[in-house]
Formats: sequence, C-alpha cells, structure tokens
Amino acid sequence: MGIMRMGYAHVRVTDMTEAKNHYASTLGLYETLEDTSPEGNKRVFYKGWDEWDHHSVVLEEGGVGVVKYGWKVENEADIEAIEKKAQTFGLTVERMAKGENPEVGDGIRFSTTSDHVFEVYHSQTAIGTEVGTHNPDPFPRHLVGVGVPALDHSLITCEDPKLMERLLMEVFDFYATERVQTSLDDDHDLVGTWLTSNNQIHQLAVIGGPQGKLHHFAFRLDDWSEVGHAADLLTMDDVSVDVTPTRHGITRGVTTYFFDPSGNRNEVFAGGYLAFPDRPTNVWTVDQLGQGIFYHARELNERFTSVLT
Amino acid sequence: MTTIIVQPSGTEIHIEPGDTVLAGLQKAGYAYTVGCRRGGCGICKIDVLEGTFSYCRPVADTVISEQERSDGTCLSCRAVPTDDVTIQLRDASLRLANPLLGQINARARERAKAASTAPEEQ
Repeated sequence: MGIMRMGYAHVRVTDMTEAKNHYASTLGLYETLEDTSPEGNKRVFYKGWDEWDHHSVVLEEGGVGVVKYGWKVENEADIEAIEKKAQTFGLTVERMAKGENPEVGDGIRFSTTSDHVFEVYHSQTAIGTEVGTHNPDPFPRHLVGVGVPALDHSLITCEDPKLMERLLMEVFDFYATERVQTSLDDDHDLVGTWLTSNNQIHQLAVIGGPQGKLHHFAFRLDDWSEVGHAADLLTMDDVSVDVTPTRHGITRGVTTYFFDPSGNRNEVFAGGYLAFPDRPTNVWTVDQLGQGIFYHARELNERFTSVLT
Repeated sequence: MTTIIVQPSGTEIHIEPGDTVLAGLQKAGYAYTVGCRRGGCGICKIDVLEGTFSYCRPVADTVISEQERSDGTCLSCRAVPTDDVTIQLRDASLRLANPLLGQINARARERAKAASTAPEEQ
C-alpha cells in the first residue's frame, strides 16, 4: 500500500528540560533514547503507549519548528517505487542509510515543494506497545498526564498548496478527504487540503502560508471526553492553550490546540469520519472557513493562520 | 517599582518584578495580539522606545534576529523589564479587556509611587 502512516515528526525546541517536561510529563510520551545529533545538538526520542516502533516524536535542541517528517511504508520495495515517482515529479532524492536516524533503516530523503524534508523508510526497531499483543488490556494502568497513545497527523504551510497536494497525490498516492477552495468554479485557488493514504481522515494537511513552516502536529485520542480531560490537564500544567475543546467542521474531528514550551503548536485530536478513496471529497468555500476550522465559534481566531514555527 | 508606559496613549502600567511585559500587561487587564506566548512565533513583538529588558528563557535565532536583539525589538512574552520601559505596539492596539484588573493595577501603581516618593523617616 506504500505509505502507511506518518512515522515520526522531528521538531526543534529551545529548551530541552522544559520540552521534556511537556512531552513526557504532561503528554505522557515514553522516552526511548537520548543522544547528540551529528551537529552536536541534544536529541530526545519518544513513543506513545500504543505505538510499537522505537519513536514517533524527536525533539532536537536549538530553535523551533519542524526539522523533518518520517513516513513509513508497508514494503521494502515501496521505497524504490516512491523514489521513482518523486524523481518523475522532479524532486531531487537522496538515499538514506540505516542508522542515519537512530533505529531507522535504509530509505530515501527529499525536500518537498513546500520546503519540508521528508524521509521514507520501511523499518524501525520494534519495541512493542505498552499493553503488548497477548491478551492486551485496553490501556496501560499507569499512564502519565494526558497519556497520548500515538502521533496522528500534522498541518504545514506553503506558498502553493495546489502543487504540494499534487506532490502528495502523485508521489505518496495520497487522496484528499477535504479541501478549502476560493470558489466552486474550476479555476478556484486551493486554500487548504487534507490528505491521507488510508482510512485515517488526514495524515498531512497543507494550508497556504510561508514555506517550510509548522502549523501543528497532533496526537490521537479516542473521544470528546478524553479531549476535555486533556484540556483540564493542560491547564493544571500551565500549558499555553490556543483553542479550548471544540469540533472541526473539516474532518468532523474534535480538538484542543496548545503550545509546547518552545511555541510549537500541538493538538490532541479525536474522531473524524472514516476516509475512503472513493468517498467524494468534502469541499469548503473560503467564506465558510471559520465554520470549517472551528465549527462552534464559526470564526477563526487571529492566531490560527498567523502563528507558525 | 517597574512601570511600562505604552505609547502613543501614554498608558502607565505597574508590573511586578520578574514578570514579562506580556504578563504585566495581562495582569493589569490589558490585551493585544499574542500567539504562542512561549517565544516561538514572534507575533507578540513590540518596540521598546526607552528602557531595558532581558529574556527570561532561550529564544530561537529564527524568532529574534541578531539585529532585532539590539534595535529595541522586544519579544514581549519572554522579555522581562530590568527598569521602566516605554513601549509601542505593532499593528495592534492595547485593549483594556478586564477593567477590574485595570483598577487594581492603578491602585498598585499609586501605592508604589507613594512609597517611592515618601520622605525617609527620621
């Protein structure tokens, strides 16, 4: 099937001690490795309790914003197939050797038209979920903080969402579940697009904005009550909350946005309908963008499109 | 006593030692355009016209450039005044969002002013 999921989000943080407190103690990710990057920056690797691979979040000290994303493919041969499609698209692809990222196998790396770095790989050291696979309990008994189970998706910005959408469709075989357009006419401009390769409502979303920027990366929760409980914990831990629990019109997911101690936006996200490639793409006109993003408030706050790292 | 003077209105705000410019303004009931409040997005930048401040936490070079570190640009969510500062907002107006806190701050400012000008006891 090619791309199975966003395997990791690698982001920069300004203060590793504060960042570790946020990602480990408030969100409840499990630290799997601490090392120093080839450039000499401190790094910490994390996984969620329901993830089996070695890591899904990498923090690197020194700045803010996203360093790169890892995309895991189902079969070894998918790497070469995606390499060819990327080259056909016109991208410059380099090979990535096993160990360039700790516990990650061979793969490819390229810079997208949005100026984000993507890595595509097939193998990562398997650790196993915290509940195991033999007669597993539904969740670990001693979760810390929010206890997020897994990385879910990310939203990035770029100057040409239409081109980036085409890249994700042609190179990754993604399909769009939702779009925001300037009009319903054929000559519309694309304001934003939500894409996936499987039943997950979105794995990567792209909206117009500056090149190479991170809007947010999100963790998966089960339902409304978990999102509300997470928001309670965020306030208890004095986390800067961007948007209190609400629903998205786009994807129907329920959400809370907040900022890590360096200012990178995080989200906890639950729900969203099941995506299928043959389901007609939902289209939002830009005049309804407020309702599309924040279904109840029906208007964008001033931060949503301007605060990026 | 540390005072923030917001130009062009000349609004005076008393802030507690150690508070950031943003915290000081918000505790006094004022609001303006802010983003992550964690030094990462740069939306809350203002200009310091007079006075000095220091950053209480690390701030990324991509958020505050080397030139901005010396030209009075102030990342208000991370900047702690080291003495009285006169500031000007960028593309945003200062709004008194909580008049009750505004009144409390005005009284605190009067008390601080009285204490600093009171004659020493013999």
